[in-house]
Amino acid sequence: MLGFLTARQAGLDDPLRLRRAESTRRVLSLTLNPDREVDRIHGNAINTIDIEVIEGRYMLSGGADGVIVIYDLENYSGKTQYTCKAVCTVGRSNRYVHKFSVETVQWYPHDTGMFVSSSFDKTMKVWDTETLKPAEVFEFEDNVYSHHLSPIARKHSLIAVGTKDPKIQLCDLKSGSRIQVLQGHRAEVLSVRWSPRHEHILATASADSKVKVWDVRRASGCLFTLDQHNGDKTKAASEAVNTAHNGRVNGLCFTADGLHLLTTGTDDRMRLWNSATGENTLVNYGKVSNGSRKRLQFTVSRGCSPELVFVPCESSVAVYAVHTGALVTMLRGHYNNVDCCEFHPDYQNSGHFFLRPFTFYLFNWCGVVTAVRAIRNVQSPWQANEPLPPDR
Amino acid sequence: MNRKRALISDTFKVKKRRNGTQKFGAVNDGDGPTDVRSSLEYLMTLFPRKLFDDRLPPIVMKHQLYSVHDDKTLVDKELNKLRERGELLMFQLGFDSDAFGLVFASDYKTKVLAGEDGRPTRATVERFLEKLLCPCTELSFSKDKMLREFLFTDSEITHLVKSGVLTVRDAGSWWLSIPNSGKFTKYFLQGRKAVLGMVKKSKYSEVLKAELEERRTTSHVKFHMKYHIHDIVGAELVESIPTTSGALLRCVES
Repeated sequence: MLGFLTARQAGLDDPLRLRRAESTRRVLSLTLNPDREVDRIHGNAINTIDIEVIEGRYMLSGGADGVIVIYDLENYSGKTQYTCKAVCTVGRSNRYVHKFSVETVQWYPHDTGMFVSSSFDKTMKVWDTETLKPAEVFEFEDNVYSHHLSPIARKHSLIAVGTKDPKIQLCDLKSGSRIQVLQGHRAEVLSVRWSPRHEHILATASADSKVKVWDVRRASGCLFTLDQHNGDKTKAASEAVNTAHNGRVNGLCFTADGLHLLTTGTDDRMRLWNSATGENTLVNYGKVSNGSRKRLQFTVSRGCSPELVFVPCESSVAVYAVHTGALVTMLRGHYNNVDCCEFHPDYQNSGHFFLRPFTFYLFNWCGVVTAVRAIRNVQSPWQANEPLPPDR
Repeated sequence: MNRKRALISDTFKVKKRRNGTQKFGAVNDGDGPTDVRSSLEYLMTLFPRKLFDDRLPPIVMKHQLYSVHDDKTLVDKELNKLRERGELLMFQLGFDSDAFGLVFASDYKTKVLAGEDGRPTRATVERFLEKLLCPCTELSFSKDKMLREFLFTDSEITHLVKSGVLTVRDAGSWWLSIPNSGKFTKYFLQGRKAVLGMVKKSKYSEVLKAELEERRTTSHVKFHMKYHIHDIVGAELVESIPTTSGALLRCVES
């Protein structure tokens, strides 16, 4: 580590390299944070969480009882022992609360004034954070499993919605109407995800074992379907042609650069695909146990080298290296099944990463070494050796 | 390639390396280059030839290699290289879509031809094997391919199915298979179930690998104990945990 700091100081390395080295060091030493806790508001399973991308300060969580809570993750108290407080809650007493379990929540990608939540009560609500009232309600015919807003979109403000119906609906935030329907799947759509690289590319995963990649500007069908055997029809039984997995595909995640796509399925496998060609890179992660009948929310690290994927596996989180498939470690600490997890690249003194359990604890993991101050401003890394000022 | 600067992933070793010379519980050192071929040959020695009256070539399952080597992707790549060179053949054994059997091409050829001795279908089978080993990386064949590329007639295809080299997959396509391997599959699954049962019935559903190897096997377990242990560890039906008294096998809850 000192080698990296000296090289940066002398100008031999560029700033990005030091940032990556520090991120990697923190991620590899992730342990359960004994000092930090999150307020327990949910009385039930927490299905989904999202951390906003602008500041990384506020976190949304959606529970099985329809309750949505917003937490403030910043610690201004000056003490190391800290509980992240809930800023506001859309509780059962709120007039507009969801009737059934909330399946997906997502902050509006460009600011925290708005967030979108979708639930098994067949609605998707766009909420105003200030007043906690829905500005827009989209109704569907079936349970909504997942929705996603593109994090990089400038030309469109579409929300892709995956429901029990095999058709994927695209809802427009600007006009408030359902403007497009993507047909092609044969069973319920469990997960949808926009590419972080191209704002028009959408990937969808369905219970019919297929993953399709779409360009929403195209009128005709999908761009391609992911095939686990890469077109080699001899490897599998003939029914399994053109499928991404041998079971329901319930998790989708693009890597941070958008060049690769990870999918998980109920056949207990995770596969890595080239997102441009749809080719299975055949990286073997081994058995990634997956019993979820709904969407599985998993996440990939950002800014580390090598990139790591965090997948909830029963009551712990398995950490794999994305490109080699090696199991790095298992993060244990939850008492019950973990439903989803979210990665936060740099947060105060350590790379935090939040887990969601099937019960109601939100655990918080951090790098062990907190004495080295955060490399916030990579232009002046020599500040990294300063001791922590007492008020932070 | 001589690197002037260290890679980030090398500095922070992604896999934690244990210090010291004594690695408890570790069967093989992860540092050397993975020699898949020698582990294949070792696993082939565990296969009981006498049980099948020497009619079957030694078969090893692909996931047994995962229990010997750490990096699954590397093992897959090496196997593909061997298959492309025509030294190894892979078969879909039918009981699990993920379970693949591996046989050395030379062994396969000798055993199949030995089995065909004296039968009228010998010539067809020999022709098929010539076409197969040159080199072929496919697990199944469609009717189209057989008729056009390999220039076999319908009756010849029937001969091949009768002799056991091809098995029906669905209308118009066939899996490549090993003749007389039905007994192998039966004993294999029986033995796997028995060994798993032994692990499950132990206190806390875990047993030391060395102790399991020493145990008296019932009549259900016809193969060598080590063969079955490699199988269940590689298929991730049990977890192998390194302890100070050797490797411990613990049942994976599912």
